[in-house]
Amino acid sequence: MHPRRLVSAGVGNVPAGFPSPSQDYSDNKIDLTQLLIRDELSTFIVRVSGDSMEGAGIFDGDELIVDRSIEPRDGHVVIAVVDGEMTVKRLRVTSTAVILQAENSQYPDITVPELADLVIWGVATRCLHRL
Amino acid sequence: MRADSVPAPRKTDGESYIGLIDANCFFVSAERVFDPTLVNRPVVVLSNNDGCCVALSPEAKTLGIKMGTPWFKLAASAQQMGLVAKSSNYELYGSMSEKLMSVLARFSTWIEVYSVDEAFIGIRGSLDEVQSLGRRIKHEVLRLTGLPVCVGIAKTKTLAKLACLSAKKVDVLAGVCVWDRVPQATRNRMMSKLPVDEIWGIGHRTAKRLGSMGILTIKDFIEADPVVIREKFSIVQMRTLLELQGTPCIPMTYTEDPKQQLIFSRSFAEPVTTRDEMEQVLGIYAQRASGRLHRHGREAKVLTAWAMTSFFNDAQVHRPSATVSLPGYSADPVVLTKAAKALLPKIIDGVRYARAGIMVTDLRDAGVHQMFDAFVSPHERAKVGELIETVRAEHGTNAIGLGRAGMRRGPSWQMKREMMSPRYTTHWDELLQVKAV
Repeated sequence: MHPRRLVSAGVGNVPAGFPSPSQDYSDNKIDLTQLLIRDELSTFIVRVSGDSMEGAGIFDGDELIVDRSIEPRDGHVVIAVVDGEMTVKRLRVTSTAVILQAENSQYPDITVPELADLVIWGVATRCLHRL
Repeated sequence: MRADSVPAPRKTDGESYIGLIDANCFFVSAERVFDPTLVNRPVVVLSNNDGCCVALSPEAKTLGIKMGTPWFKLAASAQQMGLVAKSSNYELYGSMSEKLMSVLARFSTWIEVYSVDEAFIGIRGSLDEVQSLGRRIKHEVLRLTGLPVCVGIAKTKTLAKLACLSAKKVDVLAGVCVWDRVPQATRNRMMSKLPVDEIWGIGHRTAKRLGSMGILTIKDFIEADPVVIREKFSIVQMRTLLELQGTPCIPMTYTEDPKQQLIFSRSFAEPVTTRDEMEQVLGIYAQRASGRLHRHGREAKVLTAWAMTSFFNDAQVHRPSATVSLPGYSADPVVLTKAAKALLPKIIDGVRYARAGIMVTDLRDAGVHQMFDAFVSPHERAKVGELIETVRAEHGTNAIGLGRAGMRRGPSWQMKREMMSPRYTTHWDELLQVKAV
């Protein structure tokens, strides 16, 4: 969809070959989208409410960039549907169980028998946190 | 092993097919992507001003609610029925529609966006290949966007529509139906259960007349003699019949390749019948085309605007188009809107136009040879186009626009949308909330 983006992400700072004359005119402003969003189509931005993920550096009011195209794996921060609610947790997949972990000792883990029992809405890739 | 030494899989050319991808009760599904509590519940989406139901979940249909049922008749008992009503969230549906179409565009360079939730694509392959492609499309749309879709694949558009309908209705097909792979006996059984007005292009009145001839089901119709149908009706119904019998008669409209050309075209929910309305439509479409050019970093030299009556409206055939060479390469909405208006003198008041579009061609990378252009319009120099894009990026597509297109939202200031969900995908202050608890 965005060929320019894909190319520039890969070779942006390693110029190879003779520069195209059009490069003189392209605007070289830093584009945050380029850094933050791998695929616009499958990317959604959500806002966090609550403090259970503070250990992962995710605070109340932060925005998360969520990419639905990523296959959820052990260790990912995911948006999962728990009791009809969108919830952000750390996904832990072991040989015996699948656990949704909070990153704050005050919150208990949620254990499910299998990954298939879980609705994972997307994988969070970045947190936008105001300093 | 180096990647390039792996022999490429032999590409069976196969035959060409048409795929029709249709989102399942799209408005409701778009709401459900962001609100899991709506899953498995009866949900209706209401028209402007919360007037009547324009989209129903299957659960709502089971309650006996129909398209067009006025909300005031349901409001009192809604809570008791467990019914959830949503005001139309056009921003959300528009952005989810764009995502849907972008997924489809990855599967085919030949895509015809038919409506907000439906598109035809051209595909090639053996029957098995197109079947697995259909499954992949369904899976990928769901995975990337959260939207459930059904896929119908066949030799003609009308059959693809029918295949898609079957995919929706017959559970074992699991949402994907390749018409030519379905055993003849099963096809016959399905077609003999479907009334003739379920055929794409057969309206209510034609269905009634067919009924009086004893043609009640799709199976009755497909077995009819095209010549007889032509005599009793018109070329339109004959074409529909030939399409059902496997002969393509309804061509794909323009295809899009953002390197060569860029198209913004849609069918209207209600026909456009006046030049004034058409002027608004062209303004909106030209500005959408401009937005896309900006996004692709391209500019155009030639613009074509067209409008057409419905393919099924035989009594009134009018397909005017106008091609304008722009004063210079441009992606400027002012320039494009002005050029698109060249179509207006050809628009006849009273004709029922079903679709219109803007195509820009002769594209090149923006800003390449600017210094050689003798002509740069004053507002282009003033960067009006860029300004509009910036305002839109910050305040939404409808925050600013040119001419009548800019006034598009005028009447909606007063529009009642009391039960509207957040505009999750277009407004920073309405993002989806996720709980960290």
